[in-house]
Amino acid sequence: MGEVASNPEKNDRKFALPVDSEHKATEFRLFSVATPHMRAFHLSWISFFACFVSTFAAPPLIPIIRDNLNLTATDIGNAGIAAVSGAVFARVAMGTACDLFGPRLASSSLILLTAPAVFLSAIANSPAAFLMVRFFTGFSLATFVSTQFWMSSMFSPTVVGTANGLSGGWGNLGGGATQLIMPLVFSLIHSSIGSTKFTAWRIAFFIPALFQTLSAYAIFFLGQDMPDGNYVRLEKSGEKHKDNFSQVFYHAITNYRGWILALTYGYCFGVELTIDNIIAQYFYDRFDVNLHTAGIIAASFGLANLFSRPGGGMLSDFVARRFGMRGRLWTLWVVQMVGGLLCLLLGKIGSLSGSVAVMLVFSVFVQAACGLTFGVVPFVSRRSLGVISGMTGGGGNVGAVLTQVIFFRGSRYSTEEGISLMGVMIMCCTLVIMLIYFPQWGGLFCGPRKGVTEEDYYLSEWSAAEKEQGFHKMSMKFSENSRRERGRKGAAAPVQSDPPTIV
Amino acid sequence: MKIPAGFLVVCLMFSCFVATSYGVLFSSLKDTLIVTATHTQDQVLKAGEEQITVTWRFNQTYPAGTDSAYKTVKVKLCYAPISQKDRKWRKTVDLLKKDKTCPHKIVARPYTASNNSFTWTIERDIPSAVYFVRAFALNAQEEQVAYGQTTDAHKSSNLFTVQAITGRHVGLDVASICFSAFSVVSLAGFFYMEKRKGKVAQQK
Repeated sequence: MGEVASNPEKNDRKFALPVDSEHKATEFRLFSVATPHMRAFHLSWISFFACFVSTFAAPPLIPIIRDNLNLTATDIGNAGIAAVSGAVFARVAMGTACDLFGPRLASSSLILLTAPAVFLSAIANSPAAFLMVRFFTGFSLATFVSTQFWMSSMFSPTVVGTANGLSGGWGNLGGGATQLIMPLVFSLIHSSIGSTKFTAWRIAFFIPALFQTLSAYAIFFLGQDMPDGNYVRLEKSGEKHKDNFSQVFYHAITNYRGWILALTYGYCFGVELTIDNIIAQYFYDRFDVNLHTAGIIAASFGLANLFSRPGGGMLSDFVARRFGMRGRLWTLWVVQMVGGLLCLLLGKIGSLSGSVAVMLVFSVFVQAACGLTFGVVPFVSRRSLGVISGMTGGGGNVGAVLTQVIFFRGSRYSTEEGISLMGVMIMCCTLVIMLIYFPQWGGLFCGPRKGVTEEDYYLSEWSAAEKEQGFHKMSMKFSENSRRERGRKGAAAPVQSDPPTIV
Repeated sequence: MKIPAGFLVVCLMFSCFVATSYGVLFSSLKDTLIVTATHTQDQVLKAGEEQITVTWRFNQTYPAGTDSAYKTVKVKLCYAPISQKDRKWRKTVDLLKKDKTCPHKIVARPYTASNNSFTWTIERDIPSAVYFVRAFALNAQEEQVAYGQTTDAHKSSNLFTVQAITGRHVGLDVASICFSAFSVVSLAGFFYMEKRKGKVAQQK
C-alpha cells in the first residue's frame, strides 16, 4: 500500500527527499507526490479542503434553504454559530487521538463519522434539523489538527512552517471555493435535471458528502503516520512507544504557551471563520449588490488562502533562519496587529470598491497570521504536539463563536460596527504574545536564559522513570533538530547540559 | 403606513452611501385598484396543486382620467407582516426599488379598467408563509403609479397561507441513509483491517 518497507539497517532506507535524523523531510517539493512526505501533504490538504467545503456548503445556498425550511434570521445565525462550535472540543479530542493513534486513523475516522451529517443534510426538514446537521458537519473541521500534526511529523523544523501553512491554507481554501462550487452544482441540477429549487439544493449536498468520504478512503489506503511507518506497526515492533493519555494531556494543559496561542489563534482564524459566515450578507445588505456578486466577494476572501496562509508559514521559516524563534514571534505579533487594524478600518469604509480593497488586504494579513501561528506551535511541545495543536485549533473556533455571539447576533450592533469592534478585539488579544517565553530561545522582549538548551526544555516532559525506559528518544532527536530556532547569533551557545529543570 | 414608511426612508438614506435615493415611493401611490381573490380568510393552499383566482378593476369612485397613464398591471404575491418578522430579506421599504415585500409574480397584463381576472396555480417554489395579493399599475416608463391589494392598509385582514412542497423524495431519503450507513460501516472495516495489520507486525 503506502508504507515504506522497513529494513534492519534503518539508515539504508531511501527517501525521495533529503531527511534529518528523525527521517523528516528537510525540503518541501510542492509538485512531488513521493511517499511518504509529499504524499502525506497532498492527502492532508485535500481532505481538509473537502471538510471545509462541507462545513460551509450551506451559506451560499441559504436564500433557497431559508425559504424551504422556513428559517428566521435567528435560526440562520444560530446554525452558523453551531457550525463552528462543534469543532472546539473536537479539535482538542483530535489532538489527543493523533498523539495516541496517529493522524492517519484519527483523520479518516473523523471524516467518515461526519460524512453522514452531510448526507443527512439532504433530508433536513426544519430549523432544528438544519442546526443539527450544521453542528455535526462542523466537527469535521477538526481535521485541521491532524493536518498540522501530520505535517509536523513529516517535515523538519526548517520547513515545518511552510508545510503547515500550505496544508492549512489550501484546506481553508475550501471555505471560499464552496461559495462558488455549491451555487454552480445547484444551478446545474436545477436547470439540466429540472428539479425544483427545493429538491435541487438537497441533491447538491451529495457532492461535498461524496468528496469527503472518498478523501477518507484515500488517507486510509495511501497514507502513513510517520516517515518510518504507521503507529500500529511501529508500536508493535517496538520502534515507537505507545504513550500514556493522561501524561500527554497533562503536559499539554500545563504548558501556558498552548493557552496563549489558543487565544491569539481565536483572533486570526476565529475571525476568518466569522467573516466566512457574515461577509456575503454584509455586502448584500450594506452595498445592495446582488446575491451572486456578494457570493463572489465572499469567495475571494476565502480564496486568498491560496497564498496568504502559506505565505505566513514561509515567512515564519524565512525569519527563523536569521532570528530564530524570536523572529517567528515578532512577525506573528506585527502581522496580526496589522490585521486587527485593517479589520477596524473595514467597518468604517463606506464605499463598495474601498471595502472590497480593504477586505482583500485584511484577508491576506489575517490568514498570514494563521500561518505564522503554526510556525510556532510545533515547538511548544514534542510529546504533546497533538493536544497543543488541538488546543490552538480549538481556540480558533472559540474565537469564532465568541465574535459571532458578541458582535453579529441580534441587533445590538450593525454589521459594520461589529466588524470594527472585532478589529479592536483582535488588537487587544494579540498583545498576550508578549508573554510567550522559551527559556532556550527567548521571547519578544527577552533573550534566552544562559546555559539552557533545547534538551532541557523538551526532555522535561518525560519523567526519570520514563527516560530510563528510553521513551524520550524522539524528543532527543527533535531537540537536536530544533537547534536552528536559536537563529544565526545563538548557534555558538552551549549544546548539552545536565539534568533538565524547567518548562 | 405613512409615518413608519417615512421613517424607513430616512433610515435607509443614512445607512446607504450609494447614491440611489431616487425612485418611486410606495407611500406616493394611490390605492385606485380594487383587487379581490377567491381564497377565504386564513385558508391554507398547497403549492403546486391548488389555485387562486385574482380579479382587479379600477375603482370608479376616483375621478375619470385618473387611470389615463396606466399601461400595464403587474399582480404579485406579497408577504404578510408575520412572515416578514425576523427575516430581513423580506423587509418592507418605502422605496419600491428596494422593497422586498412582493417578490413573487403572479401575472402581468395590459391595463383595462374592468373585467380582469386570472387563475393562478400556486407555483412549486413558493415558500410556506402568510400572504396577500397586490396589483401595481405601471405607466409607459414601467414605473409604478397606483396599486390595489386584497388586504387592508395594515395588512392584517383577509390573508391566506401557502403550504410549500418539502422538496424531499423517497429516493433521496433512501440514498442519504444508505450512504451514511455505508460510511460508518466502512470505518468499522478500517479498524478491523488495522488490527489485523498490528497482529501481523507483532508476529514478525
